[in-house]
Amino acid sequence: MSPSLLELVRTRPVLLDGGLGTELMARGLEPGVPPELWNVERPEAVREIHAAYFEAGSDAVSTNSFGATPLKLAAHGLEARAFELNRAAARLAREAAPPGRFVAGSMGPTGKFLKPQGPAAGEDLVAAFAEQARGLAEGGVDVFLIETQYDLREALAALRGVRTVSPLPVFVTMTFNVFPRGYFTIMGNPAAQVAAELEKAGAAAVGANCTLTTEQMAGCVAAMRAATTLPVIAQANAGQPAVGADGAVRYAQSTEDYVRFVPDLIRAGAGFVGGCCGTTPATIRAMARAIGKEDQA
Amino acid sequence: MIATEIYPQMTEAIVAGDQDAARRLAEDAVRAGLDLVQVIEQGYVPGLQKVGELWEQGEYFLPELISSAEAMKGAMTVLEPALNRQAARAVMGGRVVIGTVEGDIHDIGKNLVASMLQAGGFEVFDLGADVKMERFIDKAEEVGARMICLSALLTTTMMNQRRLIGLLRDRGLRDKYKVLVGGAPATRKWAEEIGADGFAENAVAAVKLAKALSGRG
Repeated sequence: MSPSLLELVRTRPVLLDGGLGTELMARGLEPGVPPELWNVERPEAVREIHAAYFEAGSDAVSTNSFGATPLKLAAHGLEARAFELNRAAARLAREAAPPGRFVAGSMGPTGKFLKPQGPAAGEDLVAAFAEQARGLAEGGVDVFLIETQYDLREALAALRGVRTVSPLPVFVTMTFNVFPRGYFTIMGNPAAQVAAELEKAGAAAVGANCTLTTEQMAGCVAAMRAATTLPVIAQANAGQPAVGADGAVRYAQSTEDYVRFVPDLIRAGAGFVGGCCGTTPATIRAMARAIGKEDQA
Repeated sequence: MIATEIYPQMTEAIVAGDQDAARRLAEDAVRAGLDLVQVIEQGYVPGLQKVGELWEQGEYFLPELISSAEAMKGAMTVLEPALNRQAARAVMGGRVVIGTVEGDIHDIGKNLVASMLQAGGFEVFDLGADVKMERFIDKAEEVGARMICLSALLTTTMMNQRRLIGLLRDRGLRDKYKVLVGGAPATRKWAEEIGADGFAENAVAAVKLAKALSGRG
């Protein structure tokens, strides 16, 4: 039997995938259309993107379900289709996965603030994430990837939600800003505390994604590494988006610049590395070279 | 009651995000017949400024910012009815129309800016998320606003910030409004390129900018 994702990360750095939304837009996804709708309306486009990441060297890809909690889908009147859209998301990634590669079920934030900052109650979030996880599990994911979280309370609610429907491993990444005192989420959760509390709550891997560049993220990885025994995940942005003279959108960090700092991420203790906003299959291919994956293949 | 004693308490109530204290002190000030313009400017506003500094230094985060904005709003609901109209104009910032642009449903940042603007004395008309660009202008015309704030969180939808400026020009209204842009992909350079009047990196900076543009900076 081939090793699981958690067994694999004990033997070498494991490569995840990069941006998905930008790839969908490149294939014609219009602004205002929820990307998850393409799991049923344009399945071939979604499958093609997953296949491109696997081809570039990703050991695991994340499903097209980042915004597919019923709470988030409600903005498009699609809340009743959460199970269906998540199941379809998982199936498409599964279909694209060669033998021995993996599928992570992507679960992004609900966009609702918990009380007292916002209207949401903890149990509402748990229920929303549970419904999403039910669809992803049914579609055949290997692990769950709760990602881009900014409130530790919501990340913990997501973890609880998954646990009500599935025993599969749960990975959690949160998004941090860098301050003179260290790395914090917008809610003020420090990176070390996030790593420790998520481990205590039963996560199988923890990490950072989005917002920071590869250069900025190494320090964040080190802070989490020191606070947990779990594998650490790093999925950085390729800088911030900027609009060029031709009106096209580009991310500030070039592929060369992005990949240059990937070995630093691994030295800082990251076991799982991949991309986030502004990264493409080309980025992942360059990362595969940078971490020496080609030599092992 | 001595103003010099109550002002620092007001400042502290805002810094601590203590809405009950902020309201109670405002009620005390109204009862004691204090100059309410001074109460706002020397008691409460320094609190908001301090909160902004703590946020910029990475000492305060979003929960503290929201609590402080709520405390300020609490004080203003007590003070506003007691201010005479002329005095109100001196300390209040005028009307602002705000929303997240067409095609974009992200509203966390926009809500925060709306909340902070309101705390900063502006009368805020929040149109929500995924707002048709024409509606920003119609609403501003309807309520007599002087400022339109546009949030966009996607590299695709930020193009609508540019489109609004064009729509204002087409209707001969460009000079009537200050247009402020914000959101993750927006930058100062972007604001300049599309001919907006200003860009703010975060909610605290947005209030500073709005005050400066309305001559209260």
